Amino acid sequence: MRFSLFLAAVACLAAAVLLQVSALGSRLLRADPDAIPATEALMAFALGRGKALFEVRCAACHGISGTGDAARGVPDLSDGDWLYGTGLVSDIEQVIRYGIRSFHPKAWNLAIMPAYGTAQPSVRDAKILPLSPGNIRDLVEFLMSQQGRAADAASTARGAEIFVGAGGCYDCHAADAKGDSAIGAPNLTDHITLYGDGGRAALWSSIAYGRHGVCPAWVAILSPAEIRETAIFVYSLSHPRSPAKAALLGVQ
Amino acid sequence: MPKPIPSNLSPRDEVGRVSTRRSFAFMGCGALLGLLMAGYSLFTARGTSTLIVPPEDVALVNQQPISRSDYLLQLQTLYGVDLPHATAAQRRKVLDDMIREELFVQRSKELDVASTDPDVRSAMVNAVELEIAADAITAQPGEGQLRAYYALHHARYASEGTMSLYDFAFPLSEANAATAAAATLRAGAPTPEFLARWRASGSGKSLDDEFYFAAKIHLGEPLFATAVDLPDGAVSVPIIRPDAVHVLYMIKNNKPVPFDFAAARNQVLTDFRNDAVGHLRTGDESFLRKRANVLIADDVR
Repeated sequence: MRFSLFLAAVACLAAAVLLQVSALGSRLLRADPDAIPATEALMAFALGRGKALFEVRCAACHGISGTGDAARGVPDLSDGDWLYGTGLVSDIEQVIRYGIRSFHPKAWNLAIMPAYGTAQPSVRDAKILPLSPGNIRDLVEFLMSQQGRAADAASTARGAEIFVGAGGCYDCHAADAKGDSAIGAPNLTDHITLYGDGGRAALWSSIAYGRHGVCPAWVAILSPAEIRETAIFVYSLSHPRSPAKAALLGVQ
Repeated sequence: MPKPIPSNLSPRDEVGRVSTRRSFAFMGCGALLGLLMAGYSLFTARGTSTLIVPPEDVALVNQQPISRSDYLLQLQTLYGVDLPHATAAQRRKVLDDMIREELFVQRSKELDVASTDPDVRSAMVNAVELEIAADAITAQPGEGQLRAYYALHHARYASEGTMSLYDFAFPLSEANAATAAAATLRAGAPTPEFLARWRASGSGKSLDDEFYFAAKIHLGEPLFATAVDLPDGAVSVPIIRPDAVHVLYMIKNNKPVPFDFAAARNQVLTDFRNDAVGHLRTGDESFLRKRANVLIADDVR
């Protein structure tokens, strides 16, 4: 009799846990994604699962700590600087769901850095014309000056004209070179560089040969709940008070 | 006749004893668990008819889900607000629009619009191609695969060469002058007087630090083929072309420099993926052809 009661209690407990998990999962999906960080129970529920998913799906490129790899143009997800959107959970979730240049129709597909040192800088836009090596050198000097680094003055002045003129750089990066996160055009005036060290060679390479990093669309592989959990974990990487960040940094 | 039950059974032996009450208790627990699992699956599994809208969706239209994330994105796109800040009217409008769209899409399937509308056909072909490409993108290649690909196609990965040169052109009737000019140039770099005289004649052109692809366009294929092999300070033999006799003087020729794997990695990854997309598309197409029953009229075979 006691044994039967024990079994019944275990079964009830298992059912209760299942229901609780299910209820939390539903709450997580129904919640406004940007309000989730303020809800401790949902964060606690999602972070552990998100971390495991991140390690399996994202760490191959972004690294286990999410700090990326500048040598390969993989962005740091922990620095709070967002190429697409403003770093809200909903923005991150969109990227995970549909990807970047992933060929998914709903992906961030608009901005592709043309390869100005090739015969056809942009496959999509035939109006974008190549630049000469001299033009590219001038642009590099201009960008160096924008980052507050030493640059040749005459070349910088010519580069500034090309930036808002023949190069058409302003079209994506804005006239003040501060970029546009609505299309994934990076800020060229700060010290955060996506490719390499942001020095002359890296800038030359970006302008001459173009850039078009890719993030896959996970919509067909991960469930909506898994996507949200991963997004919450990624969000937590750039918010140091979160348990995930604290764990990664070894902080109690 | 049931076996007699010994009176001095230990608790462990008790478990082995047949007990009607325990059997019923087990059966009850099993039935309850089964019911819970069946109920959970019934109301949440995709592809089954359900009366409950899954938490990741905002509506089901004939069991076809309207995604919550698409709904939120639509709210943001149309009104620039998130869900908590959207008014009831805004929410209703967006949801109504999405339901309407879904209903029309479903109706279009019933009407088989794709069989008559070329735009729909084209959109469907594009959509399937994109789907195939997306699959290829999601499969992240390993470093070993990329290195092997680079090793196989390493000739592709090099910087674009640049050149600066003079292209002195002489009328076809003055081939001797071209030969003399070539001899003069071989003796030393073109003097300012030589250049001034040449510029005044208005023939030929100078290329100032141009990429190879641009030089090829400006010189034309035959002259570029000669120019690309000239080292710095070298002079070509007179080249007779239909328009003139050309003598090329190479000021600076920066030949393409092969990229090592690290420098080429991003391009290698792109090319690898593009090839993977191509292979997948070819594979999918051949699969579709293989399983299809295609009959072709005799007169167009």
